[in-house]
Amino acid sequence: MTVLTSHLKLLEAESIHIFREAAAQFRTPVLLYSIGKDSTVLLHLARKAFWPAKLPFPVLHIDTKWKFREMIEFRDRTAKEFGLDLVVHTNEDGRQRNMNPFDYPPSVYTDVMKTQALRQALDAGGYDAAFGGARRDEEASRAKERVFSFRAPGHRWEPRLQRPEMWNILNGRLGKGETVRVFPLSNWTEGDVWRYIAMENLDVVPLYFAKERPVVERDGQLIMADDDRLKLEPGETLQQRKVRFRTLGCYPLTAAIESDADDLDSVIEETLSAKFSERAGRLIDHDTAGAMEKKKREGYF
Amino acid sequence: MTLAALVDQDVAAAPAENAGSMLRLLTCGSVDDGKSTLIGRLLWESGAVPDDQRASVLAASKGRSNLNGEEIDFSLLLDGLQAEREQGITIDIAWRFFESESRRYVIIDAPGHEQYTRNMATGASHADVAILLIDARHGAKRQTRRHAAICDLMGIRNVVLAVNKMDLIDFDEATFRRIEAEFHGMVKSFSFEQIQAIPVAALTGDNVSGQSARMAWYDGPSLLDYLEEAEPAMEAVDAPFRFPVQTVLRQGDFRGYAGTVASGAIRAGDRIVDARSGLSANVKRIATMDGDRDEAAKGDAVAIELDAELDISRGAVLSQAGNAPVNGDVVEARIVWVSETPFDPEAGYLFLTNTDQVPVSSISISALIDFETLQAAPAHACTVNDIADCRILLGRSAAFDTFKELPATGNFVLVSAIDGATVAGGVITYAQSGAAAPENTFILSRDLLARGLCSDLGDSPEDRAEFERRAQEAANLLRSVGIPVIIEIE
Repeated sequence: MTVLTSHLKLLEAESIHIFREAAAQFRTPVLLYSIGKDSTVLLHLARKAFWPAKLPFPVLHIDTKWKFREMIEFRDRTAKEFGLDLVVHTNEDGRQRNMNPFDYPPSVYTDVMKTQALRQALDAGGYDAAFGGARRDEEASRAKERVFSFRAPGHRWEPRLQRPEMWNILNGRLGKGETVRVFPLSNWTEGDVWRYIAMENLDVVPLYFAKERPVVERDGQLIMADDDRLKLEPGETLQQRKVRFRTLGCYPLTAAIESDADDLDSVIEETLSAKFSERAGRLIDHDTAGAMEKKKREGYF
Repeated sequence: MTLAALVDQDVAAAPAENAGSMLRLLTCGSVDDGKSTLIGRLLWESGAVPDDQRASVLAASKGRSNLNGEEIDFSLLLDGLQAEREQGITIDIAWRFFESESRRYVIIDAPGHEQYTRNMATGASHADVAILLIDARHGAKRQTRRHAAICDLMGIRNVVLAVNKMDLIDFDEATFRRIEAEFHGMVKSFSFEQIQAIPVAALTGDNVSGQSARMAWYDGPSLLDYLEEAEPAMEAVDAPFRFPVQTVLRQGDFRGYAGTVASGAIRAGDRIVDARSGLSANVKRIATMDGDRDEAAKGDAVAIELDAELDISRGAVLSQAGNAPVNGDVVEARIVWVSETPFDPEAGYLFLTNTDQVPVSSISISALIDFETLQAAPAHACTVNDIADCRILLGRSAAFDTFKELPATGNFVLVSAIDGATVAGGVITYAQSGAAAPENTFILSRDLLARGLCSDLGDSPEDRAEFERRAQEAANLLRSVGIPVIIEIE
């Protein structure tokens, strides 16, 4: 198998350039940290962009309270290690109404606990720009997005009216009520993220590596029982299977894949030869055609 | 050896070896000439499409009728917005990635509709090579010519003329040769350095990744073979050093100028100068989180610490003493207007370079590109999707190069001072300081021109426009032999 790495330094420099432009042009940026592998790379690049100075912005995590436990442990460990200004936000209104991914359709749950929560947190912090780890190779509507992605008042994305973005001149001038999502990893692929993690020797959440874990098979997908809130339906049984995750999110909505890839080398090998796209394990992306674009228009990342 | 170890080893390679590792391709041309289909076909055949995406494309293809009897609608791989799928058109550029054995490809698929030309211009500015599609049945259209002109403006020097839908003209060689010859004639005045015409049929795959048996008369490379050999756009390795300062990093005693090297290289100990202020100092450290470096070259994102405290901030361009950019406040440029709001000489605009932002005092348009002839014709107005030549007076001096010499410090965008919208992208053809004409600068005055070169011109608007055009041409001729010129005909 060929391992192409020579372009990673180009991607790294491009991302650092984007971080510095945004930090110089926006008043109150924030880094949206979702704990996954992309966030790990994003945070690492941000540290490089401003080294030896500290990150000139806080790091925001939207906690739905349904994340894998290992993710939260990893988040707190990372924040401590790098001295991050970590802000955690949960949609308390949704939580009090017991909004959960079992009793509500995934699209409703996601809208309340993720999209609305994000909007609340961005408004509360008065952030005019938010860094995200989205990549153009993830999904068809993301393939269309700019590096500085403008949001109309109310965080709406208007895909038909995107600002021209020529050469590496990033125009961050905002209209009234506008905010920006900044995507330093726009031109990275899933394979690049893993190869970079290997190259830079970065620590990631152990859930990415295969291990015997308790899972239940539901609608053809493997769901891990991360805590006792997962109730078995009639006929379902909990089984120990060797699985890992390609993306990390809320555990009831993130399917595991069966795999023997238990270290970085084998994960990279599996990723580069993968037959299925990364977001195939994201249950919320498949509700309707154009599901991701719809969520983005409403203010999702 | 483990994979991680292999990765470590590869990355130790010199920066110069990274330079060819990524090729950015633009696909453009008029609407319905088959761009999305061609790229979809390339991705499909290169194995870059995962199985679940293949399945969803196959499923979605069944409901559509405009497939010329083919099974798969490859364009569905690229048209990612709901409106695009519904209308069967491309609105915004789509970015796609695939890898061959040797390099990463970035494919930028640009919309063909005139209405979305601004998005095409965005795509062109990021590309090394343009694949310009032409429908073999129709030849070059107005929009094809406009795209060719924008590719030229944005600095693309390597163009593949993909004459598509050859299957619909029975793979006729004579038609292909005629289109190829017409195109060469059409772009004579442009700066394209390589033009490769390839007859293809995107829907059936002929000459896309392998040689077509149905066009034995064509002995050139297939599209993919040509791309594998193509070189990314690069200036000479000994190009002058340019370092636009993005921000200043401070930590304890450390005070470093953060930025990405736009061209050339710098070493610790070198003398640098800030063109705007004229201040100079020596490079003390080239700092990165991975450790200090002896040298930083084009593309490297670093922080430069100097041995003296200079008053330099964002927008400065560091260069080597003796080879600095022009510190000017008068710029001549070619622009592409991308705003729905037409150019307004009374409106407020800002001039954005790589990291600087300068208020504009005035902009005067002197000519527009005619998309029928691709020649510049005198004009004073400019509206969406136009390409114009203009002269811009700035509110203060800034550091500039000409785009031809150093693209990264010779480009700019214009933004509206009111709402911040990007209204135009441009390349600098000439920059100077208008405040004080240096000695031995030639002043091309109205009197001088009226006495000779323009003595046949009267006072009509057409004649006045022609007067300005001739003044510009004369200035260009003089500058091309190294004579500094200032035009004073206002």
